[in-house]
Amino acid sequence: MSYIDWGVLIATLLLIVGYGVYKSRGAQSMQAYLLGNQSLPWYTVCLSVMATQASAITFLSAPGLAYTSGMSFVQFYFGLPLAMIVLCITFVPIFHRLKVYTAYEYSEQRFDLKTRALTAFLFLIQRGLSTGITIYAPSIILSTILNIDTTYTTLFIGSLVIFYTVYGGTKAVSYTQLLQMSIIFCGLFAAGIMVVHLLPGNMGFSKAISIAGKMGRTNAIDFSFDWNNQYTVWSGLIGGFFLQLSYFGTDQSQVGRYLTGASINQSRLGLLMNGLVKIPMQFLILLIGVLVFTFYQYNKAPLFFNSYELNKLEQSPYKAELKKIQSDYDQSFESKQIEVNKLDKALDANDQKAIDQQRIAVKKADEQNKSIRKDLTELMLKNDKKAATNDNNYIFLSFVTQYLPKGLIGLLIAIIFLASMGSTASALNSLASTSVIDIYKRLINKDATDQQYVNASRWATIIWGVVCILMALYTSKIGNLIEAVNILGSFIYGTILGVFIVAFYLKKIDGKAVFYAAILTEIVVCICGYLQVVAYLWLNVIGCLLVVIFALLIQQFRNKKTAEEIPAV
Amino acid sequence: MKTQQPEKDLPPFVKSWKQFYGLLIIWLILLIALFYAFTKYFE
Repeated sequence: MSYIDWGVLIATLLLIVGYGVYKSRGAQSMQAYLLGNQSLPWYTVCLSVMATQASAITFLSAPGLAYTSGMSFVQFYFGLPLAMIVLCITFVPIFHRLKVYTAYEYSEQRFDLKTRALTAFLFLIQRGLSTGITIYAPSIILSTILNIDTTYTTLFIGSLVIFYTVYGGTKAVSYTQLLQMSIIFCGLFAAGIMVVHLLPGNMGFSKAISIAGKMGRTNAIDFSFDWNNQYTVWSGLIGGFFLQLSYFGTDQSQVGRYLTGASINQSRLGLLMNGLVKIPMQFLILLIGVLVFTFYQYNKAPLFFNSYELNKLEQSPYKAELKKIQSDYDQSFESKQIEVNKLDKALDANDQKAIDQQRIAVKKADEQNKSIRKDLTELMLKNDKKAATNDNNYIFLSFVTQYLPKGLIGLLIAIIFLASMGSTASALNSLASTSVIDIYKRLINKDATDQQYVNASRWATIIWGVVCILMALYTSKIGNLIEAVNILGSFIYGTILGVFIVAFYLKKIDGKAVFYAAILTEIVVCICGYLQVVAYLWLNVIGCLLVVIFALLIQQFRNKKTAEEIPAV
Repeated sequence: MKTQQPEKDLPPFVKSWKQFYGLLIIWLILLIALFYAFTKYFE
C-alpha cells in the first residue's frame, strides 16, 4: 500500500472514532449510556441496524461468492422484509411500551426470573464467542493483504472499538455506524464504477453482465424446491424469515439498536427502511463481484487468491506439481479467452445461434478452470491438512489492491475495518447491557446509584472487549473454530425465538412451562446438531417450533395435574 | 430523556402503517420479479 492509501485509511478511521466520541460527549445517565436517551431518528436507527448486521465478511465474501458461484446468495435475504413487518407489529411496540433495556428483561415481565436468566445466559454465551470471530475473521484477511501479523490487526480493531464504545456507550456506537455506513456506500459505489471503467474499451455495463451471465454468474433467482440447495427463493423466504426474526427480535445486539429510536414509530421506520434497502444493497454488492468476474475473463486472475497459502505450497516439496498446475492454468486461460472473445463478437453481432454455441463453449472452459483449481486445493491439503482452501474472501480485496487507483485502495481497506468495528461495537454494547441489566442489577446489586450502573456498564464493556480480543487471538491457534461458533449460534437462536413467540402469542402458557420447554428443546437441538440430522441453519426453525410444542404440552400436563389436585383438596 | 412522540405519527408516503407493510410486501414481490427477469435476460 502506498503512503496515500495509508493516509486515507488512518484519516478515515480517526474521523469515524472522533465523530462518535464528539457526538456522545458529556455526562451520561444509564438511560443515555445504554439506550441513547431513546432520542435517535429513524435514519440513524436504520443505518445502525444495517451496520450491525453487515460484518466485514459481508463485504469480502459476497463479491467473492458472486465471482465463484453467481448471485444466488441474494435470495438468503428474502425473508428479511417479512421479518421486519412482524417485528414492527409485535416486538417493537412491546419493548418500547415496557421501557425495557434488554429483550430478556421482557421475558421476566411476561414469565419469571429464571426464564430471563436463561435467555440472557444463552445470549451471552453465543454473542461472547462469536464476537471474537467478528474481530478475527477480517484481521486474518487484512493481515495477508497488508502483510502485518494478525495479532496487530486484531489488537488494533479491538482496542479502537473498546475505546469509543466505553467512552460514549450506545450513542457513540450509533453515530459511528451512521458515518461508517455512509462511507461504506460511497466506497462501494466508487469501486463499482472503477470495475466498469477497467473493463476492455468496447465493453459496456450490459455486455459485461451478459458475458458473466453466459457463464452462470447472474443466477439471482431459483424457484426450485430443493432441501439440499442452500439458496432458493423458498429457503430464503421461509428459512431466512425465521433466521432474521430470531436475530432481529431476540439478539440484544440488534434489539439494543432499534430501542434507541426516539419513538415506536422512529424505530419502526428504521427497521422497515432496512427491509426496503437491504436486498437491493446486497444485490449491488454481488453485482460488483460479477463485474470483477468479467474483468478476470480478459485479465488473468491469480491461480489462487490467498497468496499466503500459495506461497506455502511454493516452499513445499510439492513445488513441481504446483508448476504443472500453473502451466495447465495458463493454457486454460488462453483457450478460455479465445472462446470469450468469440462470445463477445457474437453478442456484438446479435447472432443468437453463435451466442448459444459460445454459451456452451465458455461454460466448458469455466468448468475446466474449476477443475484445475480443484487439483490445486487437493495439492494444498496434501501438503497441509489445515490449509485454507477457500479463497472467496480474498478475491475482492486482491482485485482492489492490484487494480484500483491509490487512495481508493486505502478507502476500501478502511471499509473492511469499519464494517468489522461496527458489528463489534454493537456486540460489545449489547454484552455489557445484558451483563449489567439482566445479571448485575437484577441479581447482584439492586440498589446501586445510576452512576454506579454506568460505571459497571463501562467495566463490563472493557471486560467483554478483552475477552473477545483474547478469543480472536486464540482463534488463530484453532483452525475450524469459526464454523463451530456459527453452528453454536444456530443451536441457541431458535430456542430464544421460541421463548419470545410463546411470550407474545400464547398468553396461557406460564413461566415454568416455557422454561422447561426451552431446556428440553436445547437438549434436543444439541443432539440433532451433534448427530448432524439436518443442515445447521434448519436448527433455528426446529428450535423455535419445539419450544412452542413442548411449552403447549407441558402447560396442558400442568393444567391437568392442577385440576386433579383441586378436588382432592 | 426526550418526550416520546405521539403514537399517531404516520409513516411517510402512505396513510397508515398497514399500508406501509403492504408497500414492503409489494416491494419484495417486485424485487423477486425484477431479479427473475435479470436472471432470464442475461443467462
